[in-house]
Parts: sequence; C-alpha cells; structure tokens
Amino acid sequence: MTLERLLLLAALLFAVGLFGLLSRRHLIGMLLSIELMLNAANVNLIAFARFGASDPEGGALLSLFSIAVAAAEMAVALAILVSMHRRRRTLDADEINELFG
Amino acid sequence: MNAETAVFAAIAAAMVLGGLGTVLARNVLHAALSLVFCFFGTAVLYLSLHAEFNALAQVMVYVGGVLVFVVFAILMTSGLGERHLRSGKARVAVAALLAGSFLALVRRAVSRSAGALALREPANDGFSTLEGLGRTLLSPDEGGALVPFELMTALLLAALVGAVVVARRTEEDR
Repeated sequence: MTLERLLLLAALLFAVGLFGLLSRRHLIGMLLSIELMLNAANVNLIAFARFGASDPEGGALLSLFSIAVAAAEMAVALAILVSMHRRRRTLDADEINELFG
Repeated sequence: MNAETAVFAAIAAAMVLGGLGTVLARNVLHAALSLVFCFFGTAVLYLSLHAEFNALAQVMVYVGGVLVFVVFAILMTSGLGERHLRSGKARVAVAALLAGSFLALVRRAVSRSAGALALREPANDGFSTLEGLGRTLLSPDEGGALVPFELMTALLLAALVGAVVVARRTEEDR
C-alpha cells in the first residue's frame, strides 16, 4: 500500500463524485455525490498523515474535524431540502429557479 | 502480488464500486445504500492504515449519523426513492468528460511526483490512538487542539439548532 496508490484511489473517488454532482438532477443525489467527494478528500488527509507527515497525529485530527464539519453541513443541507420539498413539492434542481433572471 | 497489495486492491474495488453505485443508481435510496457500502470500505482502509480512531469516527458519524439522516430525508421527500429524475444524455456526457479530465490531470500530477512520494516513510502505527488524540484535543498547550475542539462543539450545536429551525413547519406552510 503506497502513498501513490492511495492518492490515485482518492482521485478516482473524487472524480466519481464530481461526475455524480454534475450529472444528477435530484438534489439529494447531488448531496450524496458531495459526500463522496468529501470522503475522497479525507482519504487524502489520512494518506498524508500516515506517510511522511512531520505530525501524523495532527493529520488524523484534521480529518476528524473535516468529518465533523461535513456532518454539520449535511444536517443543514438536508433541513433546507426538507423545507424546500414542503413548499415546492419538488427536488429537481432544474425547477428551482426563482433567482434565474 | 503480496498480501498487503491484495487487501488494498479489494478495499479499493469495494470503495469504487460503492461510489459508482452512488452516482449511477436511478433510485436515490439505492444510491444512499451504496454510499454506506463505500463508507464502510473507507473505514476498513483507515484500519489498514492504522488510523483506528478515524475508522471508528467514520463508522459512527457517517454510517451511523449522516446516512441515517439522509435515508430519513429521502423517505420524507421522495417516498422509497422511486420518484427519480432522469438526466439528459448530453448532461451525462459533459459530466463524464469533466470528471475524466480531472482524473487525468491528477493522475499526471501524481505520476510526475511518484519518485518523491515513494521516499516517504510510514508513520509509526500509534498515530491515531484514542489516548493520543484525546490528549491532543484537550491540551491547552501549544500543539494542543483545545480551542478548535471547543469551536467545533459550538459549530455542531449551531448547525443542529439551525437545521431544526429551517426544517420546522412555519405559519406560511399551512
């Protein structure tokens, strides 16, 4: 298990998430893709903490903070989606266009 | 191929399959379940990198917390996820093109610096133990992370209260 392979794995996961974010229309599906990308970034953090970091513990901590921020972001985003669904009866990103001039 | 490489290949394959399931499944509920699969694979990867506490946090926060919340949100808004939205072929093609070029770019960057990356030595196995991380998180000295830790608790509290306020039924909804 080398650092190079870990970075390639993370890049692959990030690209898969990017594809999902750009191709999906369902807002929850887009959120799931964002989670996938955040997870790929976390894999990178752990990989660099494990290999050659001057402060490996700091790397592990940074990844924990990133998980916590992702959880907070997800809570707010899902609350917004539930509220939006209640008002608009849709979660289609193309139909939510009030700000489209 | 030695055992470690085989284990890594198996974990990586599971993670990528879970990720592909997440972005390709028509049903959003199936996508969320594929993401659970991918996150479990990530936790196993962390275990094999000796980041034990991160693996535990991954399972508890993501699988136990965030994805349960996601499944609830899907059930509340989209039924069993069958109300999927098709995206057009052109959109899928553009997305695949952009994601593919991103991947090619990063691959090129990584393979260019492969020599420098290979020189890095693995850290000792105890870099993510419960005791070590706990001491660092609660130590007010330099190098400790007490202030960020307390700020994080405030952020989580604010986010959860904010989520309740945003999702609550208001007068104008009735």
